[in-house]
Amino acid sequence: MELNELIQGFISLLFIFAFSPLFAGIVNKQKAIFVGKVGAPVLQPYYELIKLFKKETINADSSSFISVFSPLINFATVIIAAAVLPIGFWKPLISFDGDIILFAYLLGLARFFQILAAMDIGSSFEGMGASREALFAIFAEPIFFFTVGSIAFVSGHTSINDIFHSVRLDNITVIVFVVVCSISSFILAVTECSRMPIDDPNTHLELTMIHEVMILDNSGIDLFFYQLSSYIKLFIYSVILTSFFYPFSIENYWLALLIFFVVMLFISTALAVTETITSRFKMKNIPQYLLFATAIGILNLLIFTFSG
Amino acid sequence: MNILFFAGLAVQISAIIFPAVIKNPKKALVISQGFLIAGLLISIVPTLILLFLNISDFDTRFGGLFHFDGLANYFLFVMQLVAIPTTIYNLSYFRHYIEEKKPVRNFLIFYIIMLVSSQVIVIANHAILFLVSWEIMSISGYAGMMLEKEKEEVQTGSFYYLAASHALIFIMYIAFFLLHHESGSWFFTDFDLSNTDKYIVSAIFLLSFTSFGIKAGFIPFHFWLPQAHPIAPTPLSAFLSGVIIKLGIYGIMRTILFLPSVSEWMGWLVLSVSMISAIFGVWYALAQHDIKKLLAYHSVENIGIIGLGIGIGLIGSANNSNAIMILGYGGALLHTLNHAVFKSLLFTGSGVIYQNLGTRNIESMGGIIHHSRIFSLLFIIGSVAISGIPPLNGFVSEFIIFNGFFTISNELKNNYSLVMLLCVVGLAFVGGLAVACFTKINSIMLLGAERTKIESFKVSKTEYLSLWIFAGICIFIGFYPQPVLAILNNVLADRFVPEFSETLFSIKWIYINLVSLAIIAGVALLYLLRLAVKKRYGIRKSPAWGCGYSDITSRMQYSASSYADELNTIPRALLVYRKHIKQAKTVYPEKTHFESHSEDFVDRNMVMPGFRKFRSAMLKLDYFSKSDVRYYVFFILLTIAFYGMVAYLWS
Repeated sequence: MELNELIQGFISLLFIFAFSPLFAGIVNKQKAIFVGKVGAPVLQPYYELIKLFKKETINADSSSFISVFSPLINFATVIIAAAVLPIGFWKPLISFDGDIILFAYLLGLARFFQILAAMDIGSSFEGMGASREALFAIFAEPIFFFTVGSIAFVSGHTSINDIFHSVRLDNITVIVFVVVCSISSFILAVTECSRMPIDDPNTHLELTMIHEVMILDNSGIDLFFYQLSSYIKLFIYSVILTSFFYPFSIENYWLALLIFFVVMLFISTALAVTETITSRFKMKNIPQYLLFATAIGILNLLIFTFSG
Repeated sequence: MNILFFAGLAVQISAIIFPAVIKNPKKALVISQGFLIAGLLISIVPTLILLFLNISDFDTRFGGLFHFDGLANYFLFVMQLVAIPTTIYNLSYFRHYIEEKKPVRNFLIFYIIMLVSSQVIVIANHAILFLVSWEIMSISGYAGMMLEKEKEEVQTGSFYYLAASHALIFIMYIAFFLLHHESGSWFFTDFDLSNTDKYIVSAIFLLSFTSFGIKAGFIPFHFWLPQAHPIAPTPLSAFLSGVIIKLGIYGIMRTILFLPSVSEWMGWLVLSVSMISAIFGVWYALAQHDIKKLLAYHSVENIGIIGLGIGIGLIGSANNSNAIMILGYGGALLHTLNHAVFKSLLFTGSGVIYQNLGTRNIESMGGIIHHSRIFSLLFIIGSVAISGIPPLNGFVSEFIIFNGFFTISNELKNNYSLVMLLCVVGLAFVGGLAVACFTKINSIMLLGAERTKIESFKVSKTEYLSLWIFAGICIFIGFYPQPVLAILNNVLADRFVPEFSETLFSIKWIYINLVSLAIIAGVALLYLLRLAVKKRYGIRKSPAWGCGYSDITSRMQYSASSYADELNTIPRALLVYRKHIKQAKTVYPEKTHFESHSEDFVDRNMVMPGFRKFRSAMLKLDYFSKSDVRYYVFFILLTIAFYGMVAYLWS
């Protein structure tokens, strides 16, 4: 790897690290405007993170070293997963054949320990969230491989960077494909980041939550790591969504960056709009919703098979 | 070189003498297991040398009865590697049984016989030797299971094992007789099917896939496995699940070497059977409450993953693609080793828990982590490894298999891509289910508050030693898979692929090494940060949020069945998952009741009804035995006449 690429990779990673709370702030601001409120400042997530960092940390009585290490593992793996993703034409830090699998399984590691940490508290609330997280993750995994995986099969590459930069727009099917993929990966992003209509990040009733209830008993530095990694996770999935639009930038460096920012902004608006106009689904309907996204994935598979 | 191996084997066999002669079971245990470990250590040296130096040594002593080719050496390596820590574990595990005056000496004899005969199976180059040692292995396994024969579940489970073993060896006989008939030799090296009719080749493949598939536990032949493995003493369960079912994989791989050419349908058959095994194996596991039964179902899942690799390899062979073959067979062989290691780790771990708590029901466990942190850490290492998550070894082999799917799509294109995408999604789905299952058992067994009071939780030094060896191998292969991959390359170059190729090293493993290190380094750095923050802003413990309810008992925690309930409800017809609920109907407190259980679909709806029908049909023949003895004689004559006629027509 050349030094130039290494620097680019580091800068992209730092970019993801530094701006993911901002992204969440933008979503929240738009949400507030959409319902006619002034809303918290865009930088609010940063203020909250700083405040959390300075707070005293309280662990539950029955918790063990799992609760101590889970936030750290979560944060470390999410950062490493972020290092696989390209931003524009900048080569990511980690890019090799098969990194798509590594990406999915790294997030699996984060999930494994987050669920363990939730169950570590020994309270039914966390148990409920953990159980749901495990259930929905099982349905989310196929969506990831149906969307990102199918484009991998089409391009013949297995590295996320190569996948998105080798597909060329030469016929109408690719455009259809991009549209279909972005719908299902939007659903994926919503599921994995516990947003509406799967999960409500603002609710205060434990019975209805998924991600929030898993971190109910965390505070201080632990909550800081969890929050930051969930912001980064939202950013990561949005970056994947933007990647679907790189085929539109024909090897043009600046156009790719422009596409990145425009699509990111668009995603934040889409998130804000869906979160305002929809209500959360009933828990038992969520698997059906996710299977719907899987079905879309199968649809784009068929598009590609039959268009040649 | 092989002399050294046979010397080691001789030392292992000689260990039989001690439990037979020494009356004091404690002494017999220590001395015999010591000899066994010494023998294993002696014989693992030549195995490793042969593997690393890529020597395919056809031993011509003993009339060529034995061979030491790549495949044989690899499976020998897997066996010895797992057998050493398992034997160390025996030392402390059987103390408990000795105090209960169980026939431990008998068990030890059968254990040693099984260990030796399973090594002989792998190096046997002669069909009769293979079949005889297979039979000895099966029977000694059965005898070893009978340590607690007064228990009813032991009687049922071991009978399942015995019946399945006999059914499979019967099919295996037919396969080997066909091979002998076609080639005119009993030696594996002489099995030449190049002039054989392709239907007979297909028949041989199907027969051996069925028979070895029963041993390996592919669905739908898995039904005996979750019945039989849990009831054996724990080291035996570990050995049966970790190693003995791999002999089925060995058999399938060996059969592939016999075939003159591979047809593509074989690959598709193995691939689809394996995918079903992987998905439903883990789904059945999710519904179990018995830790050992759960682990036994996980063996079905992992055998499915190994089978996916074999399927990829077969498709590669049929299409003459070196890269696909290497990724497929290589992934399968590596997962064989990995599964042997982490499954033994989990089984021995569950044995430790069983000895301390006296139960295998995970619903009544909990809070073990507060008694023994190191033990819990080891168990979690095993769970992360089996879920196929980085940075441990399960990920490495699944990664190779994933790469196999992608390579098939790249090389063969068209409709292959479509099916391979489905396979990738299927394997990812299995991974998700495995995460759900292992978070379930870890969190219910180890974490939270104690559901039943744990008086003391003791893990002896020998138990720790064997657990650490297993965990160490998991960590080593996960962080630094290159040496094992070099071994695999040598194994595959020995007759599996037409030419030596470095495909396994075309994957940039350096990134996997770096990412694994980065995870550990990142967590360590963040931990230091956390320590600094702790000093400055403070950390304390306080009761968990109870939603205003203050009188929380440990029984109010989430249980294993509630954790997995939604997941089990989805395929409830296939899992035969049933819930019996008696809710309180009045405002006054009354007794409520909940229970859920899952039965095996194949066992309940196919095998048992089949046998019941067979039995009632056979009972009709009972008429003759009751009426007149002359009918009886007549039937004997008729049977002899039938066999005579068949023999006459055959020759």
